[in-house]
Amino acid sequence: MEEIGAGFRKELVSKLLHLHFKDDKTKVSGDALQLMAELLKIFVVEAAIRSVRQAQAEDLAQVGVEQLEKVLPQLLLDF
Amino acid sequence: MENPRLKAAVHYTVGCLCEEVASDKEMQFSKQTIAAISEVTFQQCENFAKDLEMFARHAKRSTINTEDVKLLARRSNSLLKYITEKNEDIAQFNLERKAKKKKKLEDENKNSVEPAEAGVVESEN
Repeated sequence: MEEIGAGFRKELVSKLLHLHFKDDKTKVSGDALQLMAELLKIFVVEAAIRSVRQAQAEDLAQVGVEQLEKVLPQLLLDF
Repeated sequence: MENPRLKAAVHYTVGCLCEEVASDKEMQFSKQTIAAISEVTFQQCENFAKDLEMFARHAKRSTINTEDVKLLARRSNSLLKYITEKNEDIAQFNLERKAKKKKKLEDENKNSVEPAEAGVVESEN
């Protein structure tokens, strides 16, 4: 697949992470934020592509939640 | 930023990414599927955040860095390889940006002494 254009903004990633930190002093470096944005992007794209493959295997015209549910266990194990 | 707005922001990005996959693979996603991927992603962030915080603390740091993020990606070899490469790309890109900025500053300092030539437009790719 060609390069993906969309992605998670650094500011959004930062807010998402800080939501769950236990320590107020915890910070995230700029590079780490960029890298996390990539990781999240890959997570979503993997979920999407694996669901598509599942739908194709089932000869479906659309990807439904049932297909996502089938690929979710392995996806979570891989991450 | 409260949860609903954060979730909406995640949902928007997830929607964009799914749209790109959909057009590339010529397969549509139902709205519920996009919402479900969005929800899972949001929840996964909690695991990521807690792990990252613990990795940094384990290394006696309060700032999470890229080594911590790479540790997150350890479960799949291909994922780890991808993230490691991305990390190098990011580092390289930031290095080049700093060098450009430094050079621009040096050029501006030179120009403040001599009459300024026609400015070179920096093209951002």
